[in-house]
Amino acid sequence: MSGPGEAWTVQRLARTLKERVEAEFPATWVRGELVGVKRYPSGHLYFSLRDELAKVDCTMWRSAAARLRAPLEEGSEVFALGSPSVWEERTALRFNVAQVLPAAAVGATTQQVERIKQRLLADGLLDPGRKRPLPRYPARIAVITSTAGAAVRDVITVARRRWPAVELVVIGAAVQGEQAPAEIVAAFATLCRLDGLDLCIVGRGGGSKEDLAAFNDEAVCRAIAACPVPVISAVGHEVDVTLADLVADLRAATPSQAAEFALPDGRDVVDRLGVIDATLRRLMTERLARRSDRLERTRDRMANALAARLRAAERRLQAIAVTLSPALERHVRLPRERLARVAGRLRPAIDRRLARDSAEVTRLAASLNALSPLRVLGRGYALPRDDDGTVLRRVAEFRPGRRFTLTVSDGTVPARVEDA
Amino acid sequence: MTDKQETLGDDLTRLEEIVRRLEDNELALEDALALFEEGVGRLKTAQSRLAQAEIRVMQVLKESGGEAPPRLEPLDG
Repeated sequence: MSGPGEAWTVQRLARTLKERVEAEFPATWVRGELVGVKRYPSGHLYFSLRDELAKVDCTMWRSAAARLRAPLEEGSEVFALGSPSVWEERTALRFNVAQVLPAAAVGATTQQVERIKQRLLADGLLDPGRKRPLPRYPARIAVITSTAGAAVRDVITVARRRWPAVELVVIGAAVQGEQAPAEIVAAFATLCRLDGLDLCIVGRGGGSKEDLAAFNDEAVCRAIAACPVPVISAVGHEVDVTLADLVADLRAATPSQAAEFALPDGRDVVDRLGVIDATLRRLMTERLARRSDRLERTRDRMANALAARLRAAERRLQAIAVTLSPALERHVRLPRERLARVAGRLRPAIDRRLARDSAEVTRLAASLNALSPLRVLGRGYALPRDDDGTVLRRVAEFRPGRRFTLTVSDGTVPARVEDA
Repeated sequence: MTDKQETLGDDLTRLEEIVRRLEDNELALEDALALFEEGVGRLKTAQSRLAQAEIRVMQVLKESGGEAPPRLEPLDG
């Protein structure tokens, strides 16, 4: 502690404080509410920044004030970049401000993006399960981007190198500025009316962070989610991830990378075709070889089986023959011999019987002959018969004019009754 | 719009499937032969398609709105 003899002047105190404060504080961003904004004729701006607990007086010199994009708005929330100093005349602390940004342009943007993200999340649009696989060999790809930008050219270059068997359909849309969200959404509506699409790339070439706003737009995100074909986002920023990237089926850093992801490499495909060719032939050769092996094996098996069955049948036959011999003796040979003996005795008996019967027949025939009407006719009688062969016995049956036959001993004679 | 034309991608997808099916030992010989024949044909088509492939770049005409498919024109550059 110093004695009164060593007392400082006020100015020394003020200057010392100023020097210490300025040395101690580099330029700092401070956030607060703007109050008491005054513009002096000199062009300098005076105002205060405050929050609930503290307040600091600020000065913005003419040179800095001239760079403001918009007039400072009383009561608005701002970010102010500045460094503290001491105004010697009053030994009062002042915050010398070099730059002011409305919080709406900075803080509010990130807050709003966060709110949109929460809504997308709540609707399940950020669900990893929603990510669709990319087609392996896309034939038609929509590219939504600015026709003026480098993105289209980059995609074409990669496509020409990797997979020229593709058709690119460019749907022009502004990708930065106020119109961008509406134009991108409209481009997705146009896409829905295109036939035969396999894939969509939406994006832009590289740029500053503010330019990404369209890809954090809620309507754009929802259009991407509703797209009928898988979407690759290519916002052209290595570091920043936009909401569009989160909703897209795949995020690429740049349009070139999107095309790399989207398209197979033609050289790989040529190799693959060669492999398929070889595989087809190998599979077929193997199959045919296997088939002919199997045929041969089948033939051998059949021959073996047949031979085995033949041998078995032969063995059985032999076995039967062996057991059959006594049976044969009993059932076949003995009865046959008996039959022969019986037949020997039977023959004379039959002969005798036949001779007797023959004599009997001769005798009966003789007596039959004596009774025959033919014998009577032989003696001069005639037999009248009508057409049916009925014998006419009475005069009444001989009506005048009737025809009949007369049977005599050696045949028939047609006859007719005389008219009366 | 003739978008249902077969593409190189269709050839490749079908070829992969043919190979996969031929690898199945249960397949009847007749079916295998038919697949093999188709595979060889597809292979030729795919190779010539690949050799002749020429990138096409179209752009949607700005004024084409409405319900109908948008009108396209070749994009220069």
